[in-house]
Amino acid sequence: MNITIAGCGQTKFGELWESSPRSLARQAVFTAIADSGVNKKSIQAIFVSNMLSEMLGMQSHLGALFAEELGISVPAYTIEGACASGGLAVHSAINSLLSQRYDTVLVLGVEKMTDHSSEYISSALMGAGSNEERLAGATFPGLYALLARAHMEKYGTTESQLASVSVKNHFHASLNPLAQFSHPLTLDQVMRSSYVATPLKLLDCSPISDGAAAIILQRSPTPKKNTVEIIASEIATDTLGLANRNSLTELQSTRKAAKNAFTSCGIAPSDIDIAEVHDCFSIAEILAIEDIAFDKKGEVAKKMEQGEYRLDTGQGLVVNSSGGLKGCGHPIGATGVKQIIEIYNQLHGQCKDRQVKNARLGLTHNVGGTGATAVIHILKKHD
Amino acid sequence: MISPIKVWRNQKKYAQQIGKVGTIISWTIINISPEGFIDQSPYPIALIKLSDGTNTLAQIVDWEEKHLRKNQPVIATIRRTQEVAPDEVIAYGIKFKPLD
Repeated sequence: MNITIAGCGQTKFGELWESSPRSLARQAVFTAIADSGVNKKSIQAIFVSNMLSEMLGMQSHLGALFAEELGISVPAYTIEGACASGGLAVHSAINSLLSQRYDTVLVLGVEKMTDHSSEYISSALMGAGSNEERLAGATFPGLYALLARAHMEKYGTTESQLASVSVKNHFHASLNPLAQFSHPLTLDQVMRSSYVATPLKLLDCSPISDGAAAIILQRSPTPKKNTVEIIASEIATDTLGLANRNSLTELQSTRKAAKNAFTSCGIAPSDIDIAEVHDCFSIAEILAIEDIAFDKKGEVAKKMEQGEYRLDTGQGLVVNSSGGLKGCGHPIGATGVKQIIEIYNQLHGQCKDRQVKNARLGLTHNVGGTGATAVIHILKKHD
Repeated sequence: MISPIKVWRNQKKYAQQIGKVGTIISWTIINISPEGFIDQSPYPIALIKLSDGTNTLAQIVDWEEKHLRKNQPVIATIRRTQEVAPDEVIAYGIKFKPLD
């Protein structure tokens, strides 16, 4: 596709009560500009990713808001696709470059969530579900719990195996200075945490977070040595609610987007060295690894329990070296952009204690709702 | 605020669903609920396969622990859905109760 990442910037994720959306955006964007060496004046468009600002901050029209805040007076767009907003914004920015309308664009993902109660956030997030689900009093932990129970019944997946996802991702997060959680978790701590929606416990769930992430993308007809190129960008959709799905043990949108992405760039799942997948809940990471076709259905939970997909004990693919949504945090609009940044930094060998050795190909997987939207990107470093 | 017009519009749909029967496909107990459902918590929700072949997702009421299982028969009934302010219209909707 000849789309390269010129530079990246990310704030720390977490409870950032002293920061506003404007200050988070400034920090992420000016870090990305400095990282890229691109002159601010050469940015031709801004793609802002956000889900909840209208409900939580009574603020819409974010494209114009951040164009003003950043002093970059160019065409600006707001992209919303629930928790996949970040991936969707990157995908939209890539399309704008492929259309040759622009040569250099900025993608900014930002979300400010921790100013509000968890009940209010739960209600706001259900905007990504169906009306039927809202009327039932469902929550996203509840909807993923329905998927988890179906997976447990069909494949014998256990609560302990699910808990091992959180243990892995907190271990990775403990090596990431920008992560919301800097402490590792034990299996016992996860297993003893209280149920949010049976069989999912508090420590199976990603947190409520603030944060921002920004990347600068360029159209580069001949990518130079040592640049990171996005070689595939695919999106797929499925029914908004869970009720009308054909299967509760797979996300069809992930399967379609992944298959199209691998086909478009001519590589196989086994070629990928590192992946950032959408682990909003522990079961979601199991489903992602299966549906992207990194491993067979029904085998991933057992391998997770045995230490696969971890930096220290895994034998192959490393999953969520950033800590994922569970350990690094999940500021909705920023998440999909942060996933790209983690892979970019890994491919450049800049991740220090959590560096995956000899990583050359990486994948990101960002999901909206319970799989109503899925976005896959594949990144490659040019040696 | 729940729009009274939306409540009125949905009544027609609910009237057709009362009495429908089905079986539970998957279920969970919600312990941390969204706003409007806090006084009902904890409560089960379930994916249900109806006898007409369609699926739905709804809250389960009048339940005992033995009813929370795959293939449990259930029947649609009408209940208040969520808390509303004193000056708001009361919202009714479809919930399901076990058929023993």
